[in-house]
Amino acid sequence: MMLPSLMLALNDAAAGHGSLADAVIPKAVAAPELRWAGWILLLPAISAVLCTLLAVLRTKSKLPALVTVLSLGTCFAMVLKLYLSRGPDAGPVVVHLWDWMNFSWGGGPWKSFQADISLYIDSLTMLWMLFVTGLGTLIAVYASEYMEGERGAGYCRFFFGVSIFLLAMSALVMADNLLLLYLGWEGVGLASYLLIGFYYQKPAAVAAGKKAFIMNRIGDLGLAIGIWLIWVNYGSIEFNTLFQAFGDAARGVGGWDRSLIPFCLMLGAFGKSAQLPLFTWLPDAMEGPTPVSALIHAATMVTAGVYLIARMQPLFTLHPDAMATVAWVGALTALLSATIGMAQYDIKRVFAYSTVSQLGYMFMGLGVGTAFGAAYHVFTHAFFKALLFLTAGAVMHGFAGQLDLRRLSGLRKVPGFAIVSWTMLVGCLWLSAFPYTAGFFSKDLILVQAMSQPRFQVLGWIGLITAAMTAYYTFRVWFRVCAGPVSYVPGEDAHAHDDHGDHGHDDHGHGAKAHDAHAGEFHPHAPRFAINGVLLLICLGAILAGIPGIQALRGQHNWVQEMVYHSSAVRASGVDHVTTPVAFGLDPHGVVSVFGISAAIGGILIALWLHLLDRRMADRIRTALLSNGLTRWLPTSMENKWYFDEIYHALFRLPMWITSHLLHFFDRHFIDGLLVNGIGRVPVMVGRLFQPLYNGALQGYATSMAGGLILVLAWVAWRWLGAGGVS
Amino acid sequence: MNPAILIIMALAGAVATGVGPSRWAKWTAFLSTMAIFAVSVVFAVQFPEWRTGKYWPSVDDGSAMKAFGINLQMGGDSVNMLLLLLTTFMMPLTIAGSFSAITERVREYYGWFMLLEASILLAFLSQNLITFYVGYEFTLVPMFFLISIWGGQERRTAAIKFFLFTFLGSIFTLAAGIYVASRAADATGAWDFSIAALTKFGSEQLSEREQFWVFLGLMAGFAVKTPTFPVHTWLPWAHDQAPTGGSVVLAAVLLKLGTYGVYRIALPMAPAGGVATATFFGVLGILAIVVTAMICWVQTDVKKLIAYSSVSHMGFVIMGLFAFNPIGMQGAVMYMVSHGLSTGALFLCIGMMYERFHTKDMEQMSGLARHMPVWGCFMVLFTLASLGLPGLNGFVGEFLCLMGTFVAEHDQPAGYPGVMGPWFAVVAAVGLILGAMYLLIMIGKVVWGPLKVPGASADPHEHAHGDQGHGALSRDLNFREVAILLPIAAACLVTGLYPRMMLDVTEPSVREALISYPERVNQFNAEHGKVNSSAKAKVAAITTTSTEAAR
Amino acid sequence: MMHLLADAAPAMAPTQGVTIALVLSAALFTVGLIGFLVRRNMILMFLCTELMLQAAGIAFIAFGRMRMDTSGQVFVIFILTVAAAEAALALGLVVLLYRRRETLSAEAWQELHEQ
Repeated sequence: MMLPSLMLALNDAAAGHGSLADAVIPKAVAAPELRWAGWILLLPAISAVLCTLLAVLRTKSKLPALVTVLSLGTCFAMVLKLYLSRGPDAGPVVVHLWDWMNFSWGGGPWKSFQADISLYIDSLTMLWMLFVTGLGTLIAVYASEYMEGERGAGYCRFFFGVSIFLLAMSALVMADNLLLLYLGWEGVGLASYLLIGFYYQKPAAVAAGKKAFIMNRIGDLGLAIGIWLIWVNYGSIEFNTLFQAFGDAARGVGGWDRSLIPFCLMLGAFGKSAQLPLFTWLPDAMEGPTPVSALIHAATMVTAGVYLIARMQPLFTLHPDAMATVAWVGALTALLSATIGMAQYDIKRVFAYSTVSQLGYMFMGLGVGTAFGAAYHVFTHAFFKALLFLTAGAVMHGFAGQLDLRRLSGLRKVPGFAIVSWTMLVGCLWLSAFPYTAGFFSKDLILVQAMSQPRFQVLGWIGLITAAMTAYYTFRVWFRVCAGPVSYVPGEDAHAHDDHGDHGHDDHGHGAKAHDAHAGEFHPHAPRFAINGVLLLICLGAILAGIPGIQALRGQHNWVQEMVYHSSAVRASGVDHVTTPVAFGLDPHGVVSVFGISAAIGGILIALWLHLLDRRMADRIRTALLSNGLTRWLPTSMENKWYFDEIYHALFRLPMWITSHLLHFFDRHFIDGLLVNGIGRVPVMVGRLFQPLYNGALQGYATSMAGGLILVLAWVAWRWLGAGGVS
Repeated sequence: MNPAILIIMALAGAVATGVGPSRWAKWTAFLSTMAIFAVSVVFAVQFPEWRTGKYWPSVDDGSAMKAFGINLQMGGDSVNMLLLLLTTFMMPLTIAGSFSAITERVREYYGWFMLLEASILLAFLSQNLITFYVGYEFTLVPMFFLISIWGGQERRTAAIKFFLFTFLGSIFTLAAGIYVASRAADATGAWDFSIAALTKFGSEQLSEREQFWVFLGLMAGFAVKTPTFPVHTWLPWAHDQAPTGGSVVLAAVLLKLGTYGVYRIALPMAPAGGVATATFFGVLGILAIVVTAMICWVQTDVKKLIAYSSVSHMGFVIMGLFAFNPIGMQGAVMYMVSHGLSTGALFLCIGMMYERFHTKDMEQMSGLARHMPVWGCFMVLFTLASLGLPGLNGFVGEFLCLMGTFVAEHDQPAGYPGVMGPWFAVVAAVGLILGAMYLLIMIGKVVWGPLKVPGASADPHEHAHGDQGHGALSRDLNFREVAILLPIAAACLVTGLYPRMMLDVTEPSVREALISYPERVNQFNAEHGKVNSSAKAKVAAITTTSTEAAR
Repeated sequence: MMHLLADAAPAMAPTQGVTIALVLSAALFTVGLIGFLVRRNMILMFLCTELMLQAAGIAFIAFGRMRMDTSGQVFVIFILTVAAAEAALALGLVVLLYRRRETLSAEAWQELHEQ
């Protein structure tokens, strides 16, 4: 049997690095010769500026897309060059670009505050940068066709947002200190806000953007507090200094506030990566254009939380409770969002919940101690999830915004949609962890790691159940949309023009086609070269992403593993890696992979039965569940995302709203009305007492003056006499 | 060259504006403010002493008139210089922003503006408590007239409330200042109102009890001006009713007079009072941040919303100032300047909108980005700056203020112990979330959403063709308006991306302001039993770490 | 300064005569005050205020003498100057008021008071 040997090989590889795991992270060296890497930050900024200029010049061409693609492509080439020039096992380097928030009142730790715009480049950075810039470029190419209906100001705005996103994401990943990371962190939040709200005339899009930003801000608060705590405890926020300090701190004393740090950082990560308390923004974020969903809300930005925890692994490994929390939150999020994903009808929403679920896997991987597994899952997920979103976008583009999987069927037979259908199949197979796909390797690494530690075995089971659900809902989409008899209903955008005539910004730019729908029959708008080409390239990437898994299968060191083991994330793997030789009386690795394969295939088979062979069966099951009073809660709460939004509204928003009104009332009528105006009335009231004196006769006024004078004199005399006369 | 020349230029500008013909008034005012800005830049370049925290020109050049300890000594260090530049930078833009809005009594309007600038400059440049006070108080007069003549519906109430409220507070400030001066005169035998001498005397010679009351007296005026939480109610009125130019100057510069007073006069003059009341003012700062942010949330008037947000933002400055460490103080100084830029710009934006639609009611408008995209871009940019997006100006100050508060613990290894501590910062940091909430809600209502132009016919089609009834103004921003907002946007970006140029120059000044604090704070904390053993353990652990790091 | 004065009047102690001057000042002031309160003629009332002002001036000089300080006298010179300007203004006003109502009684203008 091959599978156990695969897992053993992986395990051996990990064990082989056991010595590395204990080693301190090498001190970074300054590398001024790499200053050109600053262009990776500068190019997207330039492209953003150019997009703005093009908007000012009212260009109607595709020039903004060209500019963006060129600059992002150059970025990717530079990242590649950087990677090749460094080699896989080079130590970390720091490249100082320019001073940012930087001042000192004595120098040294605690006597200065240093947060410069500098790059910390190690293999973890490179891993992230490679897929961020690579996918960014490809998705920009895709968007150049997808967004063509917006040409003009909207087109410029879109590519401005994409450029800003790449700028911020690069800053986040390449930051050499936590504050620059925070800049990137909020910057990607801004890009996300602007792009979710791209169709700003749609109230839902505006609300979704706002929600995303505010939810992220809650997480950012955690990150900010984490940064302050780190500074208080370690006297610096630069990674290089910190990683050395963590090594000392492991042996030193730890206060209560020190153990809080990972929890604060975690809050930030959960906000950005849409984990359990703060996940509700991500599904709503699908209001944005699909390339944005693919790039920001599936492939790159949402993995920033994983990056943060991987980057700060040395800190997390100091606090086992924090690791366990990460693992539990990840597993529960994975399970919860998988249940929601099973009951959604909007294709993009299904994929959105699957993203939340897969992110949950990544956090579980981090928590149970396989940063390699987590990073590998980030890597493979970036490809197959981007692929899935882009195919969903192509469907949406072609069918006038139709995304309801009940209204689309048999697309693989619709002319022009073959590539879309088959690449979507690839994405679905990868997402459902079909054996020997990249998704399978990465997911199993996490499950095995969980299963092999007794205290995390429950999480392993949760992961397995989630895997079955994932396979089910993924193929539910594919069997419904791409397989079966051909039938489709165009989306609302087909007649959107007449309803909201002034909008002009119809969502997906197929004005002529859409109007045809009124005149006669609807013609799907088949994707052209840019979309198909990008789909194929990303599909290829997804397939190639499995290579490290196969390498590991052969007992070779693979490059993802190398990348992780040569970075700060090394601290994670190995430290907690307790290998139990037996579970259930058997080798756990073999058992887990068999379970994993059965879960995936079982889920696919159920989907095949319910959504291709006997489609009405699914509806019948739902109706049966709904008609029974005891089980009604299940489908309704799954379809309503377990009422999280409603609960948050009732728990937080509503009380706050009421309090705000009360405070406003208090401010206006108590502070301003009663106190301020009240004090203002005192002189008037006192004045009323003496009104009779002031009848206009000058002597009245003079008398009061004289009276005042006499009072003063009397007081002086009294004090003088009281003091004993002459002093 | 004496910096008083700036004030003389402003006064001359006021005279020229008032005397010249009406149609020249705006240009006279604009050109004089531009000239003042140019001269102030020349000062900044020509006298680099201010960078190192030294007073520029040096205090005892003997050229100043002197009587009863009051002289006309002008100058300052980096903080004065930054606030001076902020004032002279914002003034021409504000005046240019009033060009189309003010059509009545033009000469008077710009004349008052020039007088306002003169008095602000006097306050920021004075090295003498009495002249500072004269400038500080005289700002009320032009503002009073600006609000009560060119203001909105309830301008009388607003102007009277503004005047009396701030005036009542400042009387205590003056009294406290005179008290310190009289004690100093008793001790030295000669009156001297120079801020440096009073600071030295107050911090070294006054008893703790005296310092406590002196501090409260000084703060009575400055807290109203800043404004801090329970004494802020004049601000929404004044902002709401003032003409655009008045609001901009009020937000951008006048509020800074209060925090500048705290920074330059109250805290250094009575450090024991500052330490004793830090918790109190910290709580007020938190209340300002959180409570007013929540009040912002339910506003329907854009201008009132931004006015309340000013109160919330100045809460950060108060927190930073009372952190008693360089991080917080630096943050406070940064935030004074950046709040001036971004909130001033927001008021300008709202003014431009108001000129077109004659309403500030958020319920009556929606999706204006479609109607005026350039305006929308600026609005979003300044909102982001205001809510503290990293990379723009607001973030630097906000983050440092909160961080300063956070590390202001009794066992702080930075060498600057404080009395507030992490919980203050954590609660105040909720303001980051609330700030994002109300500002994004405002943007969501005004800039984004389906297009609804106030006052226009319900059908948006018709509106796309013309712009009936909005005078000569173009639909979107015209060249003048873009030229006003663009420099502010650039300044926001530059201060956000390269704050070091400001952090560096303010550092010596901040250290000077904090000079007597660590000792006082330690004493205070010891009296309140707050030095614990864990502090020692921590410091010991830290010294080991740092020595190891040094190796 | 002090020794110069001392040279000029070596025999005179600083406090000598101050009491008399102060009594004079108080008497003048009282006369002025009572006159102001009981008379209705605007010119007479004005003259009474002048009396009070000069009483203050005498007090200034007296105290300046007591402290051997010239600033008292300096103040009085200022007061005299201001009083002259003020007298011109006030008498001008009185003339104007007289022209309006053909009477010098202050009661003629009683309705000027604020409500």
